[in-house]
Amino acid sequence: MDVPAIVTEGLTRRFGELIAVEDVNLRVAAGQFFGFLGPNGAGKSTTIKMLTGLLAATSGRIQVLGLDFAEEMVAVKQQIGVVPEGMALFGRLTGWEYLNFVGRMYGLDRETAAKRAAELLEFMQLADQQRKLVTDYSHGMQKKLALAAAVIHGPRVLFLDEPFEGVDAIAAGTVKAMLQRMIARGATIFLTSHVLEIVERLCSHVAIIHRGRLVAQGSLEELRAGVEAQAATGNEHQEPHAGEKLTLEEIFLRTVGGQRDAAQELSWLG
Amino acid sequence: MAGLNVRAVAGAQLAAIARVRWLAFVHSLRTSRGALELFSRIVIGGVIAMGGFGGSVLFGTGAWYFVSGGNPAWLALVLWPVFVFWQFFPVMASAFTETLDSSDLLRFPLDYRAYVVVRLVYGALDPATLLGGLWLLGIAIGIGIADPRLFVWSALVLLVFGLLNLLLTQMIFAWVERWLAQRRTREIFAVLFFLGMISFQLLGPMLSRYGPRSTPALRKLGTEVSPVQSALPPGIAANAIAAMADGQVEKAAAFLGLLGVFGLVFVRALSIRLRAQYRGENLSEAPTIQPARAATHALKLGWSVPGLSGPVTAVLEKELRYLSRSGPMLLTLITPIIMLLIFGLGQGRSAPGGFLQRSPDMGFPVGAAYSLLLLTNLVYNNFGADGGGIQFFLASPVPFRKVVLGKNLAHVMVLALETTVVWIGVSVLFHAPTFAITLTTLAGMLFAVPANLAIGNLLSLHSPKRIEFGTFGRQRASQLTVLISFGVQIVVFGLAATTMALAHYYREIWLAVVVFLLLALLSLAGYEIVLRRVDQLALGNRETLTIELCR
Repeated sequence: MDVPAIVTEGLTRRFGELIAVEDVNLRVAAGQFFGFLGPNGAGKSTTIKMLTGLLAATSGRIQVLGLDFAEEMVAVKQQIGVVPEGMALFGRLTGWEYLNFVGRMYGLDRETAAKRAAELLEFMQLADQQRKLVTDYSHGMQKKLALAAAVIHGPRVLFLDEPFEGVDAIAAGTVKAMLQRMIARGATIFLTSHVLEIVERLCSHVAIIHRGRLVAQGSLEELRAGVEAQAATGNEHQEPHAGEKLTLEEIFLRTVGGQRDAAQELSWLG
Repeated sequence: MAGLNVRAVAGAQLAAIARVRWLAFVHSLRTSRGALELFSRIVIGGVIAMGGFGGSVLFGTGAWYFVSGGNPAWLALVLWPVFVFWQFFPVMASAFTETLDSSDLLRFPLDYRAYVVVRLVYGALDPATLLGGLWLLGIAIGIGIADPRLFVWSALVLLVFGLLNLLLTQMIFAWVERWLAQRRTREIFAVLFFLGMISFQLLGPMLSRYGPRSTPALRKLGTEVSPVQSALPPGIAANAIAAMADGQVEKAAAFLGLLGVFGLVFVRALSIRLRAQYRGENLSEAPTIQPARAATHALKLGWSVPGLSGPVTAVLEKELRYLSRSGPMLLTLITPIIMLLIFGLGQGRSAPGGFLQRSPDMGFPVGAAYSLLLLTNLVYNNFGADGGGIQFFLASPVPFRKVVLGKNLAHVMVLALETTVVWIGVSVLFHAPTFAITLTTLAGMLFAVPANLAIGNLLSLHSPKRIEFGTFGRQRASQLTVLISFGVQIVVFGLAATTMALAHYYREIWLAVVVFLLLALLSLAGYEIVLRRVDQLALGNRETLTIELCR
């Protein structure tokens, strides 16, 4: 039986009185392209930070590739790649120096680190900017560099927090192709994004978090079936037209109850 | 929007900004770290207040002496130190200086006048202004006691003089920030600043060297300098008071008007910068799009240091690259050489001078200690320059102690280089330090360096503060770090001085070597203990590190 890539049990994080993430039980199989969705402030970034060791969990357990995160933190980190919210770049290094540095930190030897750094810069169309300091890169270029750094050591699980934000369409296409290739080679990708079309196109499985709690988890088909079944048993009259599938956006909105109330208007806007 | 009262809106905006600052302060007290920061601030504030009141009495007494002695023009002698301190302290000690990153305000429809007021008000909230203000108050009181009729006029002149200082500080900061925002101008500024520092600090040693045998020349110089100083704000302020004391009301008013002219010039120069900032000027490293260079295909390798693991070497390489790209940091690091130059030139051959002139053997220990002192800027805020990069360290599989070790090694290498340069400098300017002195100094460093690194590592994890390389006046260390680092230096240098004094007393320099080596054992053990606990400490503080450094 395959070891799941990510398992969480009762994952909870409190900030004083506030419960940012509560009793989250995730299960991501190896090789899945997994989308983690939720409205603003739902707990997505907090969860991804706990999954990557950037934030301690108040309680609960995290397993990555069968390894307990708390017990074998270094071994887990060796297997994962991360593009966190803030990109984690070192502005005063050049693009090449940064990638080389990251490679060495993940235990690559000098030759391999240098070779992969050069290759990744070429792949991300940053090769002609390799002598520029990272601080001088545009936002999109920084994002591409952060992605390159996250994959330089060939991670088995990749955590991406809004990876396509600010990336142009050409580069986004290149990155998507790279991520799909990683999936084909057996890697697992855990991605958060507010662009639901991208998630729908790339991800085979999705989880939705709302107000800190996991409210849905499964393949897109499973989620769709769940929402449709709920609509059929309930009094909802928003079924799609015959032959039309619910989009991820519709599934998302119905799951988190995000349909705007017609009466909900701004008093001063008229 | 047309119906809105602009003045009322600006007032409301200023009130809102003040309220936000107050709320930020109140919310900072929610955490124990915030409370500790407040405590440190109170302690440092107390020290500053003591300096302020002490200086007030001193300057006030001086003012009273000059006025009651019938020499009110000599008030320039008390106004010049106030002026120089007011302008230099904020640049030299930016850790204490509260400056506002006003670029955050630009997204709001803030009226230009309101923007200027915010800048000026926050500019006034620094120790230099507080101390300068207190000293001027002392001077006004001193004058008032000596001649009560002069009090009101003096208070007015000193108020204008104080405002002038405030404007000048703001103007200097605004322009310095502009020049330091780009690499090329930063390099030019660093060289000019370096030369300026040398020129300024060389005055004293030159006087001590040539003074005793060239009194007529000095007198001539004094005569020539006098009109120059009277044409500058401290001299003009003194003349305005002196003229009123002589009953020359028109002349006094003219001098006050002249101060006003200086004020207008400063306002104009400041407003050029503020206008540019208000229009949304973006001071970045790359203001113009540079043509992309063609990719080079030759494979470059990272560094390799025998005996060090790949990750430690990678951190070491990264740190040294960072340091080499920071003008202000490099400037800090070459300051000991400037000090040596100053002391070297000040070594009078005919007359005994300062401490180093009487004991040139102490040149190397003092230079080395000074180098260490300057390095504490880096050591006590290890991760400050990493910013968001801290997330990488936290997410990477490398144990944190290796990251810290790499950083410490980089700092030790810089210190070793600097110590070597100091040794060479001492040899050239004084005479080569004896073997005994060299060994004593190195033994002392072996004690002081690990102690500073250990405490520095703890504080770097507990009270990190993001450092912006691109800006100059916005850098502010944690007040807790400042306070503790003072304490550490007092203990470390106190022990070192006591040891040296004992060795001197017993005329047995080797005694100091032995004591330092024993202390070094303790200090190294302490460093080792801290290093072993670093992983745990970093895990415990990862939230603080992320929040503070990813701002």
